[in-house]
Amino acid sequence: MTTITIQVNGKQLATEPDKTILEVCRANDIEILTMCHLKGVMDVGACRLCLVEIEGINKLLSACTTKVAANMVIRTDTERIKKYQRITTELFFAERNHVCSVCVANGKCELQQLGYKVGMDHIRYPFLYPKCELDSSHAWYVIDHNRCIMCTRCVRVCNEVEGAHNWDVMNRGTQVRVISDFNSPWGESVTCTSCGKCVHACPTGAIWPKAIVQGQLEKKPGIINELVEKRKMKL
Amino acid sequence: MNRQDLQLLTDQAKEKKNSCKHTICVCCGASCISSGSEEVLKKLEEEIKSRGLENEVAVIPTGCMGPCNQGPLVKYMPENTIYQKVDCDNIARVVQSQLIDKKPIEDLLLFADSREKPFLNAEEDPFFKKQLKVALLDCGDINPETIEDYFTRDGYKALSDVLFRMSPEDVIAEIKHSRIRGRGGAGYPTGMKWETVYKYVSDQKYVICNGDEGDPGAFMDRSVLEGNPHRVLEGMAIAGYAVGASKGYAYIRGEYPLAIKRFELAIKQARKNGLIGNNILGTNFSFDVDVRIGAGAFVCGEETALIASIEGKRGTPKPRPPFPAESGLWGHPTLINNVETFAGIVPILNKGGEWYSEIGTPKSAGTKVFALAGKINYSGLIEVPMGTTLREIVFDIGGGIQGGGTFKAAQTGGPSGGCIPAEHLDVKMDYEALVNLGSIMGSGGLIVMDQQSDMVDVARYFMEFCMDESCGKCVPCRVGTKMMHDLLHKICAGNGTRIDLDRLEELAVYVKETSLCGLGGSAPNPLLSTLRHFRQEYESRITTPGVKKELQPQS
Amino acid sequence: MSRKKLATVWLGGCSGCHMSLLDIDERILEVAKLADIVKCPVVDGKELPEVDITLVEGAVTSDEHLEEILHIRKQSKILVALGDCAVMTNVTGMRNYFELDDCLNTAYKTAISNDGQGEMPASPFVMHLNQKVVPLQEVVHVDHVIPGCPPDANTIFYVLSELLNNRIPDLSDVKKLHYG
Repeated sequence: MTTITIQVNGKQLATEPDKTILEVCRANDIEILTMCHLKGVMDVGACRLCLVEIEGINKLLSACTTKVAANMVIRTDTERIKKYQRITTELFFAERNHVCSVCVANGKCELQQLGYKVGMDHIRYPFLYPKCELDSSHAWYVIDHNRCIMCTRCVRVCNEVEGAHNWDVMNRGTQVRVISDFNSPWGESVTCTSCGKCVHACPTGAIWPKAIVQGQLEKKPGIINELVEKRKMKL
Repeated sequence: MNRQDLQLLTDQAKEKKNSCKHTICVCCGASCISSGSEEVLKKLEEEIKSRGLENEVAVIPTGCMGPCNQGPLVKYMPENTIYQKVDCDNIARVVQSQLIDKKPIEDLLLFADSREKPFLNAEEDPFFKKQLKVALLDCGDINPETIEDYFTRDGYKALSDVLFRMSPEDVIAEIKHSRIRGRGGAGYPTGMKWETVYKYVSDQKYVICNGDEGDPGAFMDRSVLEGNPHRVLEGMAIAGYAVGASKGYAYIRGEYPLAIKRFELAIKQARKNGLIGNNILGTNFSFDVDVRIGAGAFVCGEETALIASIEGKRGTPKPRPPFPAESGLWGHPTLINNVETFAGIVPILNKGGEWYSEIGTPKSAGTKVFALAGKINYSGLIEVPMGTTLREIVFDIGGGIQGGGTFKAAQTGGPSGGCIPAEHLDVKMDYEALVNLGSIMGSGGLIVMDQQSDMVDVARYFMEFCMDESCGKCVPCRVGTKMMHDLLHKICAGNGTRIDLDRLEELAVYVKETSLCGLGGSAPNPLLSTLRHFRQEYESRITTPGVKKELQPQS
Repeated sequence: MSRKKLATVWLGGCSGCHMSLLDIDERILEVAKLADIVKCPVVDGKELPEVDITLVEGAVTSDEHLEEILHIRKQSKILVALGDCAVMTNVTGMRNYFELDDCLNTAYKTAISNDGQGEMPASPFVMHLNQKVVPLQEVVHVDHVIPGCPPDANTIFYVLSELLNNRIPDLSDVKKLHYG
């Protein structure tokens, strides 16, 4: 197997080609913030938190979708990147109605954690307060669009891992919404297998099981990749 | 059909054309049709028939002639006399004086109402004189709905020459030599793009023609597709040969029904004549083209979103790399060029890359089609050599500002572009010069604004457009454009503060640098360029009197 | 060092932030060494004099709150937004996704607990709710924020002691930040 050398934040790393910058950084304990990345499903580069600076390329590229190349010089920790991560986080909070104190995911929410990591003490942008629906028609689960950040992890896990493709996305701009089938109530879905993978894939309190109350949600996003890896082993 | 057959068809078509002493071209581009040119065409045909002139006078519908706001336009060939705003009532009178008495009616000629003395030969009018038609060549002179008319202009000769005399490498070398750059807006060297696709080894490659022209006020691609569809098709086939593709897709937006109709007709005619399809002209080269109709999403003009749309998926962009040249349509190497780029391929191969490379500026060769719109006297479609100054375009070709107003700014590149203020009227228009001024060439929309235009409102308008058209996939574009729009709205309404302005500037740079695709990446351009050139208009709007910055609300 | 004047105000919130303030327990004595608490819902100060530091709990929900916060801003050298409602409207802002009239109707008339007897309060002395609830920063400049619902007592004490000792508190630390 060929080995290439790359430099991240001034540190030389030996790695294999064909890996993404994100994979290499995570394997070497270099923190890269992500929201839409979920190990086990395809990366879409949508949250723009994992943007890195690469020498010789005048654009910021998303670490989750960019493959490493020999002698790449990468920076993940510049002031510019930190500033942009903070703005992105603030926009996430301002976009929909994230009320941590009454959320099932309070304390275990990836978005909350992100806010702490980027040092967001307040949101400088006006809140948009959109009208969002809550769909509790499913027998076991609820989807609350107020808390959705459009990472589309549920969409991908449903399509790629479960193969049901119950979830998809409709509309454009800030009107985008995750929809069940052709925008019918989740409980009436003909494709949903009620497998619950989307519940674990969701980074916030947007999808949760009905049996859970405020702050009690335990999500295990890691099981998605575990499943994918075990399937490869054909156990 | 083989090569000799093509030659024979070409000769026949030319002979038939020459047997007519006169040709009356009736502009049937979408804008002239909307002012009634189809009826004019019918009336003219009847008039010629009733005079028994049908053997010496041919009446044909054509594509766009250029001065769109003067339509319906009728051109008498070979004199090249154009009549404007043609009325069905005076058709007989015009035919009588133009064809029989040989005394054109000056009052009805093109620009008769605005020029002291209109030109009998329209080519001498400054509107046309400063232009050089390459992509628009033959547009407005031939009937786009018959392949025979295209044959009279040596149609498919370039394809035939390429197939029999050139290797794919030769074609790419010629295109590279011409220095043509992508006309969709970004200006990537076309030859290099072709070479990249050519070099990828794959049993399947695709050619895509991007006709999803979404900029408000832009209609270059539409006019080319409506006026000379075979030229685009031939360009695609040549590209297919050069890069090794056997399948092409033309992605045309659904708002262009006429362009779709004419392009589909062209495909049908070319297929029937064996000019696309299997074993073209008896060679081993097979190439077929299908039309895909866009549903009107601006983002689908972005190449990766367009590809997703052709694949039948939701039209949202993907991060690049990998570029479509490596992994495009269904994961195969894909060449994607704009309509205008493909329209320029045939002239380059017919006249040589050297010829093309000598037109224009050192870094931007060739010509560029612009759609002139806004507060300008002669709006319409023009094609000028790169390096033509904005002043020449606005004042010589466009006839200056409506109602004797003063020029304030020209907006190029639509919602992805910026404004060029009056002090830069002498800028030589090419890719680099426009970028230096904070704008972009874009696909060629050029909106002229006079002293009454409110630049903050212009920025707000374009931001609203981008906000509505954002696909919603990435956060900076989805939420950032909404925030910027709201801030601009607030400033427009006179409620903005210094902090709002600072925040707006911060967001603009953020959205530009972090967005996933070109839509978000260029959405702040109108804002940034108006801030750069018209900052005082923003400053005068924000509320400052007596309030210390520290004491103003933060958002 | 001269003693500072400290005030705390309760706008559109649940008073939970003030409970958390009391949770600094005996450390209140350290605060008292450095400052006089001149107005606070629990010490019955009617007027807000000119003060050095004001902690404001809650969002701006009514005409009265708006008037009050503008007055507070004028009187205070340093204004601190205390708690999620003041910083990001939180629960108080949840009515922003509905029409105000619908909310009032539900609360005063149609709610089951009203037994069909409910009516809208119409006294001229009752404050008028604004159409939208806004965080403090949308109407005045806020110098420091302490998010959290409620904010952690340790964080409140940290910010207070920094300010009272003329230092600038820094919350951009994972351990000190907390929402919800």
